[in-house]
Amino acid sequence: MDGAFRKIDIDAYDEDVLHEEELYDADPRGQAQVLDEAKQRQVAVRSALSKSDIAGALSIVLENAPYGPTFDDAKVVTLQTVFTILSSTKSTEIPNVLKALTQEEQDTLMKYLYKGMAALGGDVSGSVLLDWHEKLTEVAGLGCIVRTMTDRRTV
Amino acid sequence: MAPELFSLGQTAISAHAFNANRTQVAVSLNSNEAQIFSRRGYEWIPTETLSEHDKVITSIDWAPSSNRIVTASQDRNAYVWQPSPDGSWKPTLVLLRINRAATHVRWSPNEDKFAVASGARAIAVCHFDPENNWWVSKLLKKPIRSTVLSVDWHPNNVLLAAGSADSKARVFSAYIKEVDARPPPTIWGSKLPFNTTCGEYPSPAGGWVHSVAFSPSGDVLAFASHDSSITVVYPAGAIHNVKMTSLPVVTLTWTAEDCIVAAGHDCQPFVFSGSAETGWQGVGTLDDTSAVHRSATRPGVGPGRLKSGAFATFQAADSRGQSSTADASDTKLLTMHQNTITSVRPYESAGGFVTRVSTSGADGNLVIWDVNEVSALTGKIGGLSMR
Repeated sequence: MDGAFRKIDIDAYDEDVLHEEELYDADPRGQAQVLDEAKQRQVAVRSALSKSDIAGALSIVLENAPYGPTFDDAKVVTLQTVFTILSSTKSTEIPNVLKALTQEEQDTLMKYLYKGMAALGGDVSGSVLLDWHEKLTEVAGLGCIVRTMTDRRTV
Repeated sequence: MAPELFSLGQTAISAHAFNANRTQVAVSLNSNEAQIFSRRGYEWIPTETLSEHDKVITSIDWAPSSNRIVTASQDRNAYVWQPSPDGSWKPTLVLLRINRAATHVRWSPNEDKFAVASGARAIAVCHFDPENNWWVSKLLKKPIRSTVLSVDWHPNNVLLAAGSADSKARVFSAYIKEVDARPPPTIWGSKLPFNTTCGEYPSPAGGWVHSVAFSPSGDVLAFASHDSSITVVYPAGAIHNVKMTSLPVVTLTWTAEDCIVAAGHDCQPFVFSGSAETGWQGVGTLDDTSAVHRSATRPGVGPGRLKSGAFATFQAADSRGQSSTADASDTKLLTMHQNTITSVRPYESAGGFVTRVSTSGADGNLVIWDVNEVSALTGKIGGLSMR
């Protein structure tokens, strides 16, 4: 049977179609500003890591994380920064680090974990992500995963 | 009082509504027919079938004083059912003028109007036109951007709250000049022509809004959204948000000005309490899953669904090399409801407080809970995750 009709973009014929960007408030900051901030954070995170303040480093990078379709460069920088922190943390320290985060930060971290799993390879290993994921779920529960899946403000 | 459990069918209950003295309940067993059950002692006997809809009935409401039932269905229609002297129910078709499924229906407090939420990005507010002897509908459209999933009336019979899949909860004026007297000013606004938007509140992490409810006074709005959170809105300023560690709740109801019962995908009713000043938090569950009679029969099985049934079988096979077939009882959840709870409604009130609530869900069960029997949730929410 011909299934071509299933691929027709019916939204193109709807004058009142709901667009993705109407579902959340866009980040008010400019592109250059966000990229700048992301790079500054990278530096701040490195200095926090050198003092082995993991929770502090995570708080820095998870606050005001760039989201939305326009900040691709800043997102790459932030993701790298998060990975740096994740892979330089000892497995036994993870639960205490996670408990020090606010609920908002836990949700954002979960977003990065899933983003990392979607783009494996390179500088981060799957086992690190799974380790963090397991421990974050123990602390923040399934609700945290559900929020990651529902939130359209993707990091 | 221990919760009362009634199994009304093997299929999901899409909606339930009790009559005023709770001797009868109208339910839709996920079909195009609504069943009326009458209570005989500890049993519910099917007595009447309301069949007029072509597609699945999505919502039912029973007006307590005027004793009329309204049903809404995926066939884009609503019917108002009136009892005849011979005991049967006479349907009247309501012209909703919507081109998508009707999703939710509620009578207004004075029972002279009802609101039908729909997938047509609109809410049909219906009132009776005695001259033409039919129900007329007026559509609330702006600024709804997606399917409306639930509605709830303010006690003043004019304001209407709506939760929608565009991840916002809104408060509208549903003032109809043919039936409503000019409402006195409320905390939500003073000038209220039809379709005035009195408030628009987004869910915290973009989840679609499953359920909305005004507090008993009408001065506070609560809504549950799919980002596993409930939000309590005080229009004068404070907006409190409770992010849960469990799966999302899809239905909620107020039992007092400082207390909400909410239920959903975790198959048990949670209790939240708080106020504008102190904020809101979860205080427990009405379903005591640690009760001896249930946990004793299944040693070693923690609360939550992940350790049950197939999961436990495969885990045993994986970690201990056991391949014995799991006990059949292992597929049973520790909660009273065995599947998602889709509707929680006030059941009994005393002195201005709701003392008991009723829930129905996808497991075909109807449960009546005592609101005051809250058991602590300590460690259990965390346990629901993976342990």
